[in-house]
Amino acid sequence: MKAEKRKLRKEISEKLKDKTLRGALGRFAEVYPEARAAAYANAGDVETLREAVKQMKIATVGQIEAVADRFEAAATKRGVQVFRAEDGESAKAYLLKLCKETGVERIVKSKSMASEEIHLNPYLEAAGITVTETDLGEWIVALAHERPSHMVIPAIHMNRHQVAEHFSKELKKEIPPDIAVMVQVARKELREKFLQADMGISGANFLIAENGAVGLVTNEGNARMVTTLPRIQVAIVGYEKLIPTIKDAATILKVLPRNATCQLMTSYTTMVSGPTPAMVKRDGKWVEEQKEMHVILLDNGRLRAAKDERFREIFQCVRCASCLNVCPVYTLIGGHVYGHIYAGGIGAILTAFLHGMEEFAQFHELCIGCRRCTTICPGKIDIPGLIEELRVRKVKDKGLPFLLKQTFENVIANRKLFHSLLRLAARGQKPFQEGKLIRHLPLFFAGLAKDRSLPAIAEEPLRDRVAKVKRKIANPDKRVAFFGGCTMDFVFPETGESVFKVLQDLNIEVLYPEGQSCCGKPVLAMGDEETMKRIARENIKALEEANPDAIVSACPTCTESLQHYRELLKDDPEWGPKAAAMAKKVREFCSLVAEEYEKHGRLKKKAGGLRVTYHDSCHMKRVLGIDKEPRQLLEAAGCELVEMKDADKCCGMSGIFGVKYAELSMPILSQKIANIEETGAEIAACACSGCMVQIQGGLDKKLPGVKMKHVADILAEKIGEKKIA
Amino acid sequence: MHTFTETWQRSFPTATSGSHLFAEFEERARAAAAEVFRCATLTEAREALLRLVEGAGVTKAVVVESPLQLAAGVTEALRARGVEVYTAPAEIAEHAPTADIGISGVEFGVAETGSVFQEGYAIATRLVTILPPLHVVFLPSANIVPDVPQAFEIIAKNFDRGYLGFITGPSRTGDIERVLTIGVHGPGRFAIIACDEAPQGGTR
Ligand code: SF4
Repeated sequence: MKAEKRKLRKEISEKLKDKTLRGALGRFAEVYPEARAAAYANAGDVETLREAVKQMKIATVGQIEAVADRFEAAATKRGVQVFRAEDGESAKAYLLKLCKETGVERIVKSKSMASEEIHLNPYLEAAGITVTETDLGEWIVALAHERPSHMVIPAIHMNRHQVAEHFSKELKKEIPPDIAVMVQVARKELREKFLQADMGISGANFLIAENGAVGLVTNEGNARMVTTLPRIQVAIVGYEKLIPTIKDAATILKVLPRNATCQLMTSYTTMVSGPTPAMVKRDGKWVEEQKEMHVILLDNGRLRAAKDERFREIFQCVRCASCLNVCPVYTLIGGHVYGHIYAGGIGAILTAFLHGMEEFAQFHELCIGCRRCTTICPGKIDIPGLIEELRVRKVKDKGLPFLLKQTFENVIANRKLFHSLLRLAARGQKPFQEGKLIRHLPLFFAGLAKDRSLPAIAEEPLRDRVAKVKRKIANPDKRVAFFGGCTMDFVFPETGESVFKVLQDLNIEVLYPEGQSCCGKPVLAMGDEETMKRIARENIKALEEANPDAIVSACPTCTESLQHYRELLKDDPEWGPKAAAMAKKVREFCSLVAEEYEKHGRLKKKAGGLRVTYHDSCHMKRVLGIDKEPRQLLEAAGCELVEMKDADKCCGMSGIFGVKYAELSMPILSQKIANIEETGAEIAACACSGCMVQIQGGLDKKLPGVKMKHVADILAEKIGEKKIA
Repeated sequence: MHTFTETWQRSFPTATSGSHLFAEFEERARAAAAEVFRCATLTEAREALLRLVEGAGVTKAVVVESPLQLAAGVTEALRARGVEVYTAPAEIAEHAPTADIGISGVEFGVAETGSVFQEGYAIATRLVTILPPLHVVFLPSANIVPDVPQAFEIIAKNFDRGYLGFITGPSRTGDIERVLTIGVHGPGRFAIIACDEAPQGGTR
């Protein structure tokens, strides 16, 4: 399939201007997390439930063909006709033939994402068959000739006035923008369609191999109509919905309604195995007849994914859409920008498999890797991780754009050149405003401040200050190598100095190996694994040279990258073992310091300090799993800790995204600043240099009274006071 | 062929289930906007239904009989009130779209979610359940299982084929501005009449 070249930026800016959409999504994002948590209140341990879904799905996808065979056999035995459709074309052809043979003229449909994926409706309509979507949201979207913008709430982007307009146009009479009235109008209109239809088409939330049952989880009751009234029943379902046993349905039902609609159970949860009777009018008399039932199992790229060691994970998706509800980018722009019917991060991945890499390439950058979705996905899918993997494959396959490749290979992977460019930038910054090449460098944003102040590159990087701050320690408890990372080294060298102070105060000797360079994250983020490997080898060499006891970074992204070298180089006979050995030594600053403070009895809450609120960096909390230690350290430094709302929601930086997609990054930042303001804190603390760039920029413009500080800075100040006192 | 109704009671988890779970069940069912009437006797259950019928101004009913309804004499009572009652499948097919009420029996309730479980292979059951604006079900109040997995213990042993599932409150939607609105395609009112007294010949 050839991808249509889209004007993504224009689409994004239109969505950002759409007040109805922004309002609806904003309100939803606001209430969703709590409503979901409330729904889980009586469900037992959420993690156990999610793990159960994941394990059940993993076991299933591992033998997907066999499970499909079992489903087919069980369904066939009970009188269902099962058709395995390789792609959309074959599914549609099968259905059209069926309609012709059985004289079907009118079809009612309940929600089936698989049918939307293959563009079924226009195909059948072109053949003269009337197709009516009966899910209210789907019906609205169909009347508006639009696509659903959310997998569970298709018309979330419209308000009542817009819906009333579409209703009025369709029904050729004035329908008031009153929700209760409109729902009744829909009931009446669609009721007729149900009663007259020859065929009902549904999707399925699960297919049970054990007895060939189709499982439907719905609220409106339309799926019950669709599967009850017409004489022919069809379900179009992707292979990922297969589950082995009847009891496995319970595993899904524990999480699906809770995550999707924050309900304990939807109004109608139905399982149909084998054809059932219907009432048909013959010669003016109602007679009972056995229905004809068909299940179309849709492949369309899924079985290829099932064979892929990494991407079989997409079978863990139950299509609850909660990953959208918590996505900082989706909740700004909605689903249309993602191109196809599957929106958000999971949509990007599914699109790559169902519609091809070219489609994926157009909008994968909208995943900023904040990993919030990974904490709630019922199937525990590593959505950002899979997107990163797709990027790597895309680059392996298609290569990088020439300039980007040049930048990565010749500049970032060449520390001396890279650093001298940064130093040049600190002085002049002129070439950096024009040079195309520079746009792809980490820190290229320096000096490009428009709507937020971005920090300048420091005149004296950390590496030049080492001689000043390094203390010789006679009998050190430990010797650590400090990995600064580009941002700390060149933008926040003072924070780097604080790291020195805090560690040295703990009787730790700190080395700053000269040969260290960028951790490589910006390169990997673009999918350039090869260059990343080169960078990894350089850094391992530099950091391990003095054989330190630990390698410390005060930036979670760098910490993660250094640990990732192990995975990255695992097939390299020479460097693999070295990377693995180093990974064990890599420590994040706060967690190491908290451990040491604890040892020395210093991790105690003290009073009398400033009011501080703490921002959880995405990678700190969700990749490294560190969220308590920085808070404990702040309290140990005497700070009065006040929690902000959504402390662990992304600040909108996410590396290059923050500047490339400034129009998306800014509203995310504004929310963060508002949450900080609400706490009345004097200081916003965090433990990530990337977040510091972003939040400091926002504070500077909008909340100049509040200062951004790294936890290390606050600790170092405390030590300073102590020394003076 | 379809034997769920005949066999499921043998798998009912008596050790973990029962009317001690009714309060939880009732709370959750109400939270899902179901109306719940717990009645000590069959007579009370019949009275509860008649009050509902009166309140809703019912003139036409479609009914699928369950043991509880038969024992409570629901259908005759309705007829005696002058309500048109249809019970045969062909009549139900004809009248369900215009009936004011559908009445049926359900097998058990689930405390965790406030759902009732109904086996609905018979077309009449499904028509009665989904088409009229008010749906009333009769439930033996001792038949409450604690949670969804327990419900599936029963289902897994007895579901060979057919049409079955859970009903939790009335039909609803949030598709316009996420405003919860009741009564889209299915019934806008859903009432559970739960009876402590068992029909002659055993509970359930
Ligand atoms: S990826 Fe996870 S959160 Fe997203 S729709 Fe699928 S199951 Fe739900």
